[in-house]
Amino acid sequence: MRALCAGALVALLLPLTARAHVGSPNVFFEGRAGTNAVGVVIRPPLTLPGVAQIDVRVADATRVTVQAVFVDALAEAAPAPTPATAVAGDAQLWSAAVWLLRRGSYGVEISVESPRGSGTVAIPLQAAALARPVMPPALGGLLLALGALLVVWATWLVAVASGSRGGALAALAVLGAAVYGGNLRWRTMDQTFSNALYRPLPVQAAVESGAERQLLRLAPVASGAPESTWETLVTDHGKLMHLFLIRENGLDVFAHLHPVRRDGRMFEGVLPPLPAGSYELYAELTHESGSSQTLIAKVALPEPAGAARDALQPGESDGWCRSGVALAASSPEPSALDFDDAWHLGRVSSARESPLMGGGRMVFETAGPLVADREVSLRFSAFARDGEPEVLEPYMGMLGHAVVRRSDGSVFTHLHPVGTVSMAAAELLARRAGSTEPMPTLAPGAAREVVFPYAFPRAGEYRIWVQVRTRASGGVLTGVFDVHVGGV
Amino acid sequence: MTIGDRAAWLMLLGAAGIPAALVWDFSWESTIGVERFFAPPHSATYLAIALATSGALVLLSDATRTRAAGVRLGPWRAPLGAWLVLWGALAFVTSVLFDRWWQSGYGLAAGIWHPPQILKAIAFFAVTLGVWLCWLPRQARTSGALAFAVSGGIVLALISVVTLPASFANLQHSAFFFQLGCATYPVVLVALATAGRLRFAASTGALAALLLQLALVWILPLVPGAPEVGPIYNPRDHLLPPPFPLLLVLPALALDALLRVFPGRGERSLGLPRALEAGLSFSAIFVLAQWVFAGFLLTASADGWFFAGGGRHWPFFLRIDPSARAAFWHAPADELTLARAALVALLGVLAASAGLLLGAGMKRVRR
Repeated sequence: MRALCAGALVALLLPLTARAHVGSPNVFFEGRAGTNAVGVVIRPPLTLPGVAQIDVRVADATRVTVQAVFVDALAEAAPAPTPATAVAGDAQLWSAAVWLLRRGSYGVEISVESPRGSGTVAIPLQAAALARPVMPPALGGLLLALGALLVVWATWLVAVASGSRGGALAALAVLGAAVYGGNLRWRTMDQTFSNALYRPLPVQAAVESGAERQLLRLAPVASGAPESTWETLVTDHGKLMHLFLIRENGLDVFAHLHPVRRDGRMFEGVLPPLPAGSYELYAELTHESGSSQTLIAKVALPEPAGAARDALQPGESDGWCRSGVALAASSPEPSALDFDDAWHLGRVSSARESPLMGGGRMVFETAGPLVADREVSLRFSAFARDGEPEVLEPYMGMLGHAVVRRSDGSVFTHLHPVGTVSMAAAELLARRAGSTEPMPTLAPGAAREVVFPYAFPRAGEYRIWVQVRTRASGGVLTGVFDVHVGGV
Repeated sequence: MTIGDRAAWLMLLGAAGIPAALVWDFSWESTIGVERFFAPPHSATYLAIALATSGALVLLSDATRTRAAGVRLGPWRAPLGAWLVLWGALAFVTSVLFDRWWQSGYGLAAGIWHPPQILKAIAFFAVTLGVWLCWLPRQARTSGALAFAVSGGIVLALISVVTLPASFANLQHSAFFFQLGCATYPVVLVALATAGRLRFAASTGALAALLLQLALVWILPLVPGAPEVGPIYNPRDHLLPPPFPLLLVLPALALDALLRVFPGRGERSLGLPRALEAGLSFSAIFVLAQWVFAGFLLTASADGWFFAGGGRHWPFFLRIDPSARAAFWHAPADELTLARAALVALLGVLAASAGLLLGAGMKRVRR
């Protein structure tokens, strides 16, 4: 009946929003609720209304509650918090199921009480239908058989009631038309549903080649959707846009760039000296509403021009990493790159170890096999040429950034040590809740390891790019790893 | 009282439970908002269907055992209404299986009135119509005529439930509301007035529907409940009262008067004049009554437990402008113009014709 009522006033529904990342809907968060360190995994429902499963890992908690707050509504529009239950056999794990009603931005507020004190943290979650359902064959067969029985039975009933064969034939015709109409309606609704599924937003990408530099321009594909304009964005890690370029056929070139907004419908950035080829483009934005968005495009890059061409060093056998900050000191190459832009050329040489520019190496420290849908801490350390561990410096407020891509491109996600959440969206939620606590960014002290919480959504082959800024180099170094993720 | 009579009363109870459980479900979903398979109103729906089905099975068993008059299917015999109830029960089971899969896969994201929901509505109508038919030949029994009228009233209540989203008081000056009402209710009311043994069968049926829905308007808000999912645009601490029921008793009285009390030329034949009289009478009185009454329902005077009006009671998830709460909603393409009023009248006449045919058909069914 809610369906009926909702439908009567469907025009009152809120504008649609989108979700960041591709093919990786689960949300991972590592941070603090007051004085309590928490690790949170949110598994959103496949459709709406639906239940989000929320796991909270926290030590010594006496009570954990979860509340899903719709961002566009007032705080008092949220239902009462749902108490989480302690999971038997794991003293630190709490679990809760929370209903989400409609598509849009939610803040999932985790409140923890412990002897150390109480605190709350809000984690952004984009709610949207994720996948088109497929009926199991057994259920389909059963429904088909029941449907056939109903048609035969109804025809017989009409024949008896009317007392004529004509009545039966008329009934059969009506039932046939009803089945046809029902099927047509199903197809129409399925199409409507499929059209509204979360998808990354395609954008137009174009390269303008000049004498000394190449400009990359991004513009939204005209759709009229509220999120297809870029007037109201907030910064994430100090940038309005995080853009990733990955060269197709080999995935041997990777760049993490930060174009600037020219106006509400255009981003523009100077391209670093990347080899020519066809590239996959992924970009991430966060809107003022708290909704994050992933943009995708394909772009063909020509050979870089002028001095930039000379900067390419084909034939290098190990990783070749550069960054905007390094270029600032050696200028004949393209100027006006962002300080935090970084790019990498080179193939993977090992699943566990990746060469770094300058003779160092990065090591994938996580032991044991990787399994789909199982939480794992992806640990990486960097070592200098002499084998000494590198001290890691903040890179855009984080100890590191990782990009995970499944070999077929069906999964793409950008990880930080705090998880998959958009920090901009998390900060927006915290401000709305009146919190004055800064969002967790970098652990104090000299870190020698960067850890990303994640669970690979599907089995398969994945490539991981890990970016860190080391104290010794001052620039950004990129390690590249190919990992196998097994089935459950 | 024979075993068949007991079964028929059980079926009547089950049939009455269907619209009652559906209105409860509307109230539950509008207040609490989460969909659980065994939520109390869902369980009540299953129970209602189970009661009606049990009664139908008893009738089938009894008729088969005693070789009573009935519709035969192989070795089994049962009244036509019982067969229809059993068909409805199977359709209901099918729709529930289908709907569970649909809800888990599409939710509400694909829209409303999806195929399993349509099948479920058909199943509910089949069961209530089947029960109504079962009471048709039992009108001569003690309270049988009353039970026949009440079971027809249950079908009226079910129409009200299915058309509830278009029947908010705010919509009761729109052409679609009147078109919908005039295209549906006269079928049942005219059939009742034609085939019922009570002199005021249609009025009794309409009164039964009114009382059933009134009871829910008064009882449901006594039950504590709060939304379990956000956003909550209209906070609630008790179940939402459903909209005040339609005043079908008024046009029903006119139909009874026309067709039974003052038949004029005696037992009139079927035909256009009779359909015109009945259809136009229903349409005129229905439009007038609801037009005036809806105006009252939106005033502060109706804001109380009795009428549950005043534009104060809304599903928690509905974001609605305060100024729209107690106002009529006028879609430009849905104002009651003269042409649309003519369509209202035409639909009323067509529905009355269908009701006359149904009533005549019912009179022929004696098994």
